[in-house]
Amino acid sequence: MSSTPVEKGTSLWQDAWQRLSHNKAAMLSLWFLLFIVILCVVGPLFPFVKSPTLINLENPGAPPSMDHWFGTDQLGRDLLARVLYGGRVSLLVGVVATGVAVIIGVIYGAISGYAGGRTDSAMMRFVDILFALPFLVLVILFSLVVDAPAARFTEWVVESTGFARDSVAPLTTLIPLFIAIGAIGWLTIARIVRAQVMAVKKQEFVEAAVSLGLGRARILFRHILPNVIGPVIIYTTLAVPGIMLLESVLSFLGLGVKPPNSSWGILIKEGADRMEINASLLFFPAFFFASTLFALNFLGDGLRDALDPKSAKD
Amino acid sequence: MARIILSRILQGLLTLLVLVTITFFLVRMMPGSPYTDERALPPHVLAELKAYVGLDRPLPVQYATYLKNLIIERDLGILLKKDEVRVSEVIRQAFPVSAWLGILSIGIALLVGLPAGVIAAAKKNGPLDYACLAAAMTGICLPSFVIGPLLAVVAGLNLKALNVAGWSSPSDWIMPAVTLGMVNAAYLARLTRGGMLDVLNQDYIRTARAKGVPGFKIVTKHALRGGLIPAVAFVGPAFAAMISGSFVIETIFQIPGMGRHFVNATTDRDYFLIQGLVLFYGFLIVAANLLSDLGQMALNPRLRTSA
Repeated sequence: MSSTPVEKGTSLWQDAWQRLSHNKAAMLSLWFLLFIVILCVVGPLFPFVKSPTLINLENPGAPPSMDHWFGTDQLGRDLLARVLYGGRVSLLVGVVATGVAVIIGVIYGAISGYAGGRTDSAMMRFVDILFALPFLVLVILFSLVVDAPAARFTEWVVESTGFARDSVAPLTTLIPLFIAIGAIGWLTIARIVRAQVMAVKKQEFVEAAVSLGLGRARILFRHILPNVIGPVIIYTTLAVPGIMLLESVLSFLGLGVKPPNSSWGILIKEGADRMEINASLLFFPAFFFASTLFALNFLGDGLRDALDPKSAKD
Repeated sequence: MARIILSRILQGLLTLLVLVTITFFLVRMMPGSPYTDERALPPHVLAELKAYVGLDRPLPVQYATYLKNLIIERDLGILLKKDEVRVSEVIRQAFPVSAWLGILSIGIALLVGLPAGVIAAAKKNGPLDYACLAAAMTGICLPSFVIGPLLAVVAGLNLKALNVAGWSSPSDWIMPAVTLGMVNAAYLARLTRGGMLDVLNQDYIRTARAKGVPGFKIVTKHALRGGLIPAVAFVGPAFAAMISGSFVIETIFQIPGMGRHFVNATTDRDYFLIQGLVLFYGFLIVAANLLSDLGQMALNPRLRTSA
């Protein structure tokens, strides 16, 4: 990059994009992820994708055919449709739960790092304590506790907005999962952001902002936080696959996504139960799930190398 | 150093207190009660049952009693569904099973993951490196409930070599331990590779190379100690992951360990059993983190002075 004559300075983001676009594995992952997302979001709108809930007991466990591209499940439901709809839920949980975790973690970590001193050590002690809790156990208990309030919330939304229950319930029943997963995911990000904020706040441009008389909140959110975005993006990309795995484990135990929703985790569990009868029931959801996680991991690694060249491992 | 250890222990105790408190109130906020499925229970019998275990008293009193029994008499209470069975008895029977599964799988993870990570780092960007990386990535991306049933079908049903479920003979240990071990081996391999590469890029390694120290000796003698630090740091959290993994593995292979007791206890709403198991899990994690910290201090003297 340094060999090409540069007339205009390149921003950090242009630099990073340039490095990323030279990373074949990361770019391939990026395109693949876009493809999967578009497939799951737009795919079900096409007429040849059947209803994922249409039961056809005359044709259960069918192998892939022209009519059912991925075959059908034990109740004769079209597997292609179930995989696409399940993908919507899995991706949604991955993105929203990570979003919840990132928002909490960034705010908490930024305040802790910027405040420093006793506030900081008290806030970080709290994170240390939460970190050592057996969190899966607590997520399980928590999801049982919030089930009933979530059901009441669904009723409330149905009554006050007049939407059909079938279109509201798939979203509102996921809320406990978002909260439960988000509530534990923020710990790591809080630590990362705190360390970054502590490093940035000692720099001259922050001192300049202080001497201009800017308020603390404005300095923190307008001047310090934008400099912390790099690590946050890296961590976020690498956290999504972990959170999608967590969702699948919870769904496997019967505690995560619940009917009428289904997710890749649920489809994989159902497929694993009936693997001897029809292996494609396991293969298709597992393939979609694993390859998405694969791509997310490679993209995250690539982003880390692009945004933080010092840590590049290759 | 003694001060650091003491402060870690104190922090661990505080963690456990927080855990006990959260669990106590979460459990009592769950819908339903331990006695909901016994439909024909007359009210006065129910009241008597509740009075017998103290569930009729106000929550703060229950909480205080629980803490008092726990700290002073080191008693976790009885099962609500089968009285006369103590929670500690359940843990005493189930823990060896889960612990043995955990030890076997950590052993497999170390045996496979560490060498794979070291080799991958030593042969950076070579075919062996890419093979290790790809295998590790597959292990991370495939949930254990895919690997487990696949193994069961291949080894159990097709080869008829192993039992698909149960925990009665040593051959039953193989599949669950391998399933759980592979996932952790994958994480461990990636961490070890990263840690080794960090060290191998440092100046003192270049000095050793310049002096003509053979490559094998550089890796084993100069780089290994520093390169293992991330892997040792992982063993603590791995223990926590092992617990969540054991929920899935114990369900798939029908192993009578703590994970299955916990899943059953949540459906039964057996308050004392849930609290006891969660506290025990918390204790294990705190202890594992402490050991992992001590291990890191042993490998990296710089950690011994900072707080």
